[in-house]
Amino acid sequence: MIPEGMHDVLPPETAELRAIENALCRRFAAYGYGEVRTPWLEFAETLEAAQDDTLEAGYRLYDQQGHELMLRTDMTVPVARLAASRYRDKPLPLRFFYVAPSIRPWAPQRSQDGEFEQAGAELLGLSSVTADAECVTLLCDALSGLGLEGFRVALGTVAFYTALVDALGLPADDRETFLEALAGKDYPLLESIADNAEADEAALKALWRTLELSGTRDGLTQARKLATSDAMEDAIQHLVEVRDLVDDAGFGDAVTFDFGLFQDLTYYSGVIFEAYAPGVGLPIASGGRYDGLLERFEWDIPGVGFAISLDRLHDALEEAGAAPAAAPACLTFVGGLEHPEQATELRRAGWAVCALREGAVPKARPWLVREGNSYRLELAEGRAVAGSWKDVLRALESA
Amino acid sequence: MRLGVATADGGAPAGLVDVLEAAGLPGEVLRAAPTASLVIAGDTTWVPAAGADVLAGCMRGALDAGIVGKDLLLEEEPDVYELLDLGVCRDAIVYAMPRGMTPGRSRSRPRVATPYPRVARRHFGATGRQVEAIAFGAAALAPALGIAEGVLDLRSRVELAPLDLEVREEVATVSLRLVAGRAAHTLRAPELAALLERLRPSLEGI
Repeated sequence: MIPEGMHDVLPPETAELRAIENALCRRFAAYGYGEVRTPWLEFAETLEAAQDDTLEAGYRLYDQQGHELMLRTDMTVPVARLAASRYRDKPLPLRFFYVAPSIRPWAPQRSQDGEFEQAGAELLGLSSVTADAECVTLLCDALSGLGLEGFRVALGTVAFYTALVDALGLPADDRETFLEALAGKDYPLLESIADNAEADEAALKALWRTLELSGTRDGLTQARKLATSDAMEDAIQHLVEVRDLVDDAGFGDAVTFDFGLFQDLTYYSGVIFEAYAPGVGLPIASGGRYDGLLERFEWDIPGVGFAISLDRLHDALEEAGAAPAAAPACLTFVGGLEHPEQATELRRAGWAVCALREGAVPKARPWLVREGNSYRLELAEGRAVAGSWKDVLRALESA
Repeated sequence: MRLGVATADGGAPAGLVDVLEAAGLPGEVLRAAPTASLVIAGDTTWVPAAGADVLAGCMRGALDAGIVGKDLLLEEEPDVYELLDLGVCRDAIVYAMPRGMTPGRSRSRPRVATPYPRVARRHFGATGRQVEAIAFGAAALAPALGIAEGVLDLRSRVELAPLDLEVREEVATVSLRLVAGRAAHTLRAPELAALLERLRPSLEGI
């Protein structure tokens, strides 16, 4: 009935997702971010400017003039396009957020849906460590504001590994394969490339050690000792400063380090981070710095941002028993369809009212049944009131 | 911590049992454990299961780590981290044909029976050849059954084939690997580091 990889969302789940979206929007707004919407369709050329591998298999179509169009595969690139085309003469920095679905080809073996909704924030025009820290803080704040416990944000940097891999002295071809294996965390493959290419022993040792240090408490201090170049020192120093600022903001406990963090989105350039929560196998959010991206739209300003996967966040909240409270119960009003004035009166008093025909059988409490000019109200099992309309209003007011 | 182990009918493979025992882990218990069961040892729950289930468990966050064959990793390309080559159950995925057969004489697109259709498509595609990859579990039987001319399967299975099969190409070497789910890699980092620490020395000399 619907294409593979697509799915419907029914009322109970939609209500929970909406509550999550609303809570996230409030958090984003509290940091001065403004909500944007961008079109589903962009010129293929626009999205391709990001040179992101995941685009290869995106959905494409043609408009009546023969332009090649593409369904957006994420929101970061459209927001960059929006900023570069609409905000060039505006003062920096710019802060945007969005809650929107995107579409990528369905990949069931990687448990990736075709259509997926993300809530994300982008901070454009600041290259400082403080901007990185604000993004990580906002992510932590948004997640903990929803009552999610036990989540961790793993912090890494593209710079550290590029420097470390440079130190290995690999030939260009091997370097490429090596970085790919690093991204996929295929350690045995890394080992065999390094062996075959006779990589620098000391640098290789440092690489294994830092991969092992990921996620451990004192990993950062240890990694510092292993730094063999200024570039590596700087990269670590940058992470330390980000962590300290996030700590000052009150979210230091959630931050850990992952020196092997390396994402397949090619536009990331500096700090990268991923959020994980117990019971959910894949990251519930990911983000990072993408300083070269805006330049592809001929506006050379830096940027940093992240996106939260709504579905995975929802799973994580369920797992943690912190799914948002269901909306207040709806009052079923039998006879309400014939007497809309009374249904309206109840709604004005703050009740959600589901009106049914006279004579219908109500299914879920609370319910109100009109029979002629008398009423029967049952708020819960064993809590019933019978009488006039006035009696009903009084009972509902005190309920 | 929850650890999945890919097992077949006969429980965990012998080579793996030795590696686990040498690392002070409950290998013997797993030798006899039926597939799709729970084995609780200390603070670790071992889950012997089909390889694909181990991967699904890791990706869904139900398992923290797992032990599966590289052949499955090549076929499924799952979103997990591959941490360690356990060096046991070493084998190779090979392309074989009945001895003396000339490929592609009568067919412009040879039929290749394989339990690894994706690996086959990738391998032949990368070398510019067209084949019809036929998903077939007992691939080594396929030529005898007239299903296909070629076989792409593990060397150990090809060697057991009733028809005399000749290995023409080696596609990839495989062995058992320790993999971890992406979430576990962050949320269970200290436990995973400890597990690696225990397993590494027991691999020396294999």
